[in-house]
Amino acid sequence: MHIPDGLMDPTVSAIGWIEFLVVLGAVLLLAGNRIKERNLPRVAVLSAGIFVAQMLNFPIGGGTTGHLVGGALFAIIAGPLVAVIGMTVVLLIQSLMFGDGGITALGLNALNMAVIAPLTGWGVYTLLKTMTEKGGRSSAASGFVVGAAAWASVFVAAAACAAELAVSHAVSSGAYGIAATVSVPAMLGMHAVIGVGEGIITVGVLAYLWSVQPDAITSASPTKKVLPGWRALINGSTARAVVAIIIVFALALPLYFLYASAGKDGLEKTMENSNVAEGEPPLASPFSYGQDYFNALFAGLLGFLSVALVALGMMKLVRMRGSRGTNP
Amino acid sequence: MIVVHVRGQGNYRLDEHASEVWFGRLDARAKLAGVFAFIVVSATLTRAELVFASLAVALTMTVVSMLPLAHIAKMYLAALPFILLASVSVFLFGGWQRGIQMWARTSACVLPLLVLAAGTESFDLFSGLRRFRVPAIITTLLMLTHRYIQLMSEELARMTLARKARGFTGGRNLLDRYGLRIISYTAGMVLVRSIGRGDRIYEGLKGKGFNGELMPWKKSHITVLDTSFVSGLVIIASVLLTLQLGVVQ
Repeated sequence: MHIPDGLMDPTVSAIGWIEFLVVLGAVLLLAGNRIKERNLPRVAVLSAGIFVAQMLNFPIGGGTTGHLVGGALFAIIAGPLVAVIGMTVVLLIQSLMFGDGGITALGLNALNMAVIAPLTGWGVYTLLKTMTEKGGRSSAASGFVVGAAAWASVFVAAAACAAELAVSHAVSSGAYGIAATVSVPAMLGMHAVIGVGEGIITVGVLAYLWSVQPDAITSASPTKKVLPGWRALINGSTARAVVAIIIVFALALPLYFLYASAGKDGLEKTMENSNVAEGEPPLASPFSYGQDYFNALFAGLLGFLSVALVALGMMKLVRMRGSRGTNP
Repeated sequence: MIVVHVRGQGNYRLDEHASEVWFGRLDARAKLAGVFAFIVVSATLTRAELVFASLAVALTMTVVSMLPLAHIAKMYLAALPFILLASVSVFLFGGWQRGIQMWARTSACVLPLLVLAAGTESFDLFSGLRRFRVPAIITTLLMLTHRYIQLMSEELARMTLARKARGFTGGRNLLDRYGLRIISYTAGMVLVRSIGRGDRIYEGLKGKGFNGELMPWKKSHITVLDTSFVSGLVIIASVLLTLQLGVVQ
């Protein structure tokens, strides 16, 4: 999944770098205090462990092998924020020292494997764990949860990679990237199978770690504090997992709008085919989108933010009503 | 003294020839700036003649750096699967010309990177990044991780040999429970063994005055050779970019 230099359209690579730097900056701000002095060698050990674990090939069948990505494993062991930093370090070493993945493509590689993979893995793991814990926890259930999280992390990261290849191809009229008709089925098909291996290995590694050294590496979860107002909403583990998954979707927006601003949607295409022209609207929206990339991106982000705010508002309302109901 | 923790004392190192050649004596910042500028421009070239020109520059740089070509070739072969995967899919679905162009473009970007890695001592390379204001947390993690990778690879190699001696051949397929269990336990064991080692190394670092950041261990000065190296690569990159953008026909 390591993208080399020269494969992606420069605009797509630049978007990857900007998104990655924004995420890394936010993560360093949030987790910088947690990774200090004593924890530094431990995070480094884990990163090195993941790097070495990536060197272990597992058999897929028919003589082919796959290798671990390790994003979900890292995030389940050390938490999503530490995993983002650790996986970034792994990718930097792979790129700088071994030429695996390029410099201009580092932003996209880091987004796929150091941000999207750990966040998806951790998000799915936390959400499923909460669900299975309600009905009593068994080793088979926790194995399934870990496996599903690892599979999802690889599959979603591969989907992101395929989308980046397809967008590169579309916006550069074929000079860069690989056409969606090839990249999407190839990447998703291959990684749906590789993901199974990733799931099995991650379950095995965690089963081993939990039985041998249950609390050796796992980072201490931050102490729960009672927070006022809006911050209380993202304090629970379920809410955080939802936020992690929302971030993964939000990261796709800039690329999606790059793609959308260049093309036509289904309705526009049908209207064109049936020679139907768009009439004058009775009411004009203050925002236009689809005219150029930045218009589309701005409108998209605005829409995303408003939907997120409405959802948070509804959650707050539900909580307020719930707490009022339990009071005597 | 802290440097030993990062450099290691093993026999084979990527940067083992760095101190023998003129390229290795250049300032890390100059090498990073020059090589990155060249890579950024090479990755944006689409005109076939310019792509091959940049590949020629990359090859010339590899030869002129005086690093052993067999060493670079070995590193290039290790990175080849990633390059070929992209080129072959373009080759199959976009025509052979586009496939070859993709291979040339990615190779023109990978070769300077390999020369940079082989021709710069790892500690200098990471110190160079620190001098470019990359956050200390990242550069320190890079240095420590790089060192631990060497330790763990040796650990893994010993464990792989032990597994082989007991008759393990790597498993058959995804349904081979026994094989997959052994592989995942090996990965788990590498992690567990390294935790203790990580703690011991921390104590060692602490004893040598580690306070959370590995500082660049030697002073470096930008010399005339450094300036000429950067200017040379930046001029070549600018010419390629100008021709690509069609400012000069």
